[in-house]
Amino acid sequence: MRPCDSHECSQLNELKVDMAALNMLSGWVANGDTIMIEQMPIFGGYCGGVEETAICDVATTLASFTLFSGNYHLDGPIHIRWGITTARETLQIAAHAAAAIDANTDLLLANQYYPIAGPCTEMCLLETAAQAIADTGSGRELLSGSAAAKGVALDKTTGMEARIMGEAAKATAGMKVPDVNKVLEKLISSYEKSYTKAPPGKTFSECYDVLTVKPSAEYLKVYDGAVKRLNEFGLNIKN
Amino acid sequence: MAIARPLSIFDVYDKFVTGKKVPEEEWDYSIIPTNATKLKEKYKLNFGKNIIPEDKSTMNNLFAAGLEMLVQTGFYNTDNKRVLKVDEAEVWEGIKKTPSQLILGEGRDCARFYPRRGNSPVKPIIQGGPTGAPVSEGIFVQVMQSYAQEAIVDTLVNGVMSTIEGHPAMTNTPYEIRALMAEIRGVDEARTRAGRPYMAM
Repeated sequence: MRPCDSHECSQLNELKVDMAALNMLSGWVANGDTIMIEQMPIFGGYCGGVEETAICDVATTLASFTLFSGNYHLDGPIHIRWGITTARETLQIAAHAAAAIDANTDLLLANQYYPIAGPCTEMCLLETAAQAIADTGSGRELLSGSAAAKGVALDKTTGMEARIMGEAAKATAGMKVPDVNKVLEKLISSYEKSYTKAPPGKTFSECYDVLTVKPSAEYLKVYDGAVKRLNEFGLNIKN
Repeated sequence: MAIARPLSIFDVYDKFVTGKKVPEEEWDYSIIPTNATKLKEKYKLNFGKNIIPEDKSTMNNLFAAGLEMLVQTGFYNTDNKRVLKVDEAEVWEGIKKTPSQLILGEGRDCARFYPRRGNSPVKPIIQGGPTGAPVSEGIFVQVMQSYAQEAIVDTLVNGVMSTIEGHPAMTNTPYEIRALMAEIRGVDEARTRAGRPYMAM
């Protein structure tokens, strides 16, 4: 790996770390590597509610730079019940923490993506877009994803989810924040009642031709449908 | 009072070694929730319905509460069960020493990682990949290529190879390292196939 690639080290929940992390970091710092420190505060866990979790989120983000020599922080507030980052509460925590740090520093902020639905489903793409919109609107500099199907199912991730993440971010950049919030309200309301029956989606081999690495006609159609809905909610994604 | 220097990893280690011993259960179930709740009340934080805050006072109060959380509470080391304390000047010095701009990747495939400062018209960097989700070793390259070939993607984040040469890539076994090295080679092959050999991973 080169100095312009990133090495990742995780904190532990909440405001905790172990010696293994310090050992890795000491080597990377000496080597001049770019360091990304990760921390995913748990909403509904030790911190408690939305505001308390956001407070811990800001604290752990600052610790990444001050204590652990990080060059950028990878966030990812996660919902204790659903195990996702795309829930209303976790989006609100991440957006508030990012906006607070962005307003007071020039630190580089990233966020990671764990939607509940799997690939080749409209719900997965809408969830991913919602987080991209919230992250972009709140001033984050890097979006990392996406680990569809909660990031735990084998081969349930594809490039198409990153496409919607990027296109939603591009369409959001420069919008007025009150307008972004209006889009988010409609968008989150469209999927948040479906967690208990979230579609598991398809595997990579079912979504792409593995030989040519081209997405299936079915997935392209699902993608177009998701873009159409996002544009109806007030975004302006151009295909 | 002026501080001696920004904290290094070794300073942090030394602070942990001399920190106060605290049972982990007390940290998790008492110290963290109690301090977070106190600060929520002190700074009168109530986010209401907006996903993104629209007023400066909420942003500034949350920042102050988070900074105070770190300074008052400290950080816990799960190995020696001790708490490190850091003061506010050390936090600001750490922020000051952090580069505010990075370049990820090289040449025509590089991504400029600069502060956006609010919802600027500049889109964020799009780091595409499975973000640690498990991927079969037989299709690892193709999965990573599916991200590298997307025009909107700027850098890559790899998935976790679920096996290596058929062996589970278990933590704390030699196969963990063998799988990691195979992931790096796989990402390199994927970005080369996509015609973007110098993208960052």
